[in-house]
Amino acid sequence: MSSLPPGVVETAEDVRSGRRSAQESLAETLRRIEALDGRVGAFLEVTPQEALAEARAADARVAAGEDLPLAGVPFAIKDNMWVAGRQATCASRILQGFRPPGDSTAVSRLRQAGAVFVGRSNMDEFAMGSSTENSAIQITRNPWDLERIPGGSSGGSAAAVASGMVPGALGSDTGGSIRQPAACCGVVGFKPTYGRVSRYGLIAFASSLDQIGPLGRSVADAARVYGVLAGADPLDSTSSPEDPGEPEAAVARGAAGIRVGFLAEAEAEGLNEDVAKNLDDARRAFLAAGAKVTTVSVPRARYAIAIYYVVASAEASSNLARYDSIRYGPRISDADLSSLYVESRTRGFGPEVKRRILLGTFALAAGYYEAYYGRSMRARAVLSEDFRKAFEEVDVIVCPSIPTPAFAIGEKTEDPLTMYLSDIFTVPASLAGLPAISVPSGYSSEGLPLGLQILGPRLREDLVFAAAGGFEREIALPEEVPRGIR
Amino acid sequence: MSSRPGTVTPDVVRRIAALARLRLPESELSLWSRQLDRIVSYIDQLKELPEDALPAGDPLPATPMRADRARPGHGDGALTENAPVVAHGFGVVPRVVGGQE
Repeated sequence: MSSLPPGVVETAEDVRSGRRSAQESLAETLRRIEALDGRVGAFLEVTPQEALAEARAADARVAAGEDLPLAGVPFAIKDNMWVAGRQATCASRILQGFRPPGDSTAVSRLRQAGAVFVGRSNMDEFAMGSSTENSAIQITRNPWDLERIPGGSSGGSAAAVASGMVPGALGSDTGGSIRQPAACCGVVGFKPTYGRVSRYGLIAFASSLDQIGPLGRSVADAARVYGVLAGADPLDSTSSPEDPGEPEAAVARGAAGIRVGFLAEAEAEGLNEDVAKNLDDARRAFLAAGAKVTTVSVPRARYAIAIYYVVASAEASSNLARYDSIRYGPRISDADLSSLYVESRTRGFGPEVKRRILLGTFALAAGYYEAYYGRSMRARAVLSEDFRKAFEEVDVIVCPSIPTPAFAIGEKTEDPLTMYLSDIFTVPASLAGLPAISVPSGYSSEGLPLGLQILGPRLREDLVFAAAGGFEREIALPEEVPRGIR
Repeated sequence: MSSRPGTVTPDVVRRIAALARLRLPESELSLWSRQLDRIVSYIDQLKELPEDALPAGDPLPATPMRADRARPGHGDGALTENAPVVAHGFGVVPRVVGGQE
């Protein structure tokens, strides 16, 4: 593969203007998946028949004069979102064969906008993980180095976009599951403000943190998809009624005049050499783009991982109590109700999901609740307050997306705590519900992608997109085919 | 309750596994205990935060309530389509009354 096919915006504009049909675009996507996915393993299932029907429908709507912002754009959808007529399994044995009753709101909005759904992308089981190695079905490989992880949990979506198998994908982000794999694979990943995108039809992991967002090859691609996804939904009470604004105009505006604060606590952690050097380049790029660059402190950010693994696990243990093999999922034992629950859950969940359920059950158990869950929720509030104060001084906060480039497959599977620390830079924005984007920012000395993260105040996606657009233009990375699939 | 290495003992693991409706083989309890205890020890750094720096009570805003209005759903087919065992249009469960339970 010597070049990458068009991205989201270019594909949509081609189809809208009649330069190319949605069916032609789909055919190219399916050819690339056929050629590449045997090596990458991004997809759990490809659904060409359904996608063809959707591409025909998009072509017919364009011909009828409809104005479709995602006309004929092929998407990969993470396996934890409902797509009508397809399975949604969270890459878990306990949901094998589950067919949702319709589209999730996010998918329905993409469908309205003319998108085409080519398949389900791989993920860590129930979105719990940072490497996609916790999928019960298969591992996914990083297109830049097939011996390395693509990040996670939306690793299938990130790898599919990076290798040009699809122009865009949806992921979900609970503690970094869009931004961290995007950085590992050298693509853009955006987590909107908590509540911007409806969670209806997103299979729950941690309900106070989960948020759907786009992955694409450019900031403009992510902005286009976000503009379609965002908006209030009566089916999700936490969805925000605020106007999502004009993200694409913000990208075009750029970083001039924006107050950019580099996060002091990130640099205090003792950064990886490649990451530190990359951050210096980013500082110069923002200055060149006309931003006002300073340093900003979020003192309690250092507690974020500790808070996160209590709050997210507690919510997961509660959300995953529904998997009882009565209404869905393979049933293991029918001897009595208790053994039906226990045997089905014991066989249905993988080790990391069990670990989070156990940790959450511990944090919520009588005798531990106040010391763990109660204290974590109160610490989460002071962390959010730290961010609120920081945003009185700056418009956006900048830090690395990942502490190291993508690590080797198997390197961290035996050490859960070390794996959890992969999310050290992404978890703070999740806990505070802030919008945050990961933008490709260069390469490590070994030629692996690095990502820069830009965080904004709640509901100020416009600032994030403006800063990200300006940074992307200034750093001007040439588009390259990932070297693992060349 | 205070915590230090050794908080999540194999006995605690056995108890929380029962609460979570999971079965862990006895031979694996010490591994689970070690892994979870290491994570909990890391979490214990939250104890450094002085009590007077933290807000009292649950600080999260409540989720807004929806209007209590009927609207079309997906129908009972959506429920039975995925049920592992269905008879006469109902999901089948083991006996819960009058048996050993």
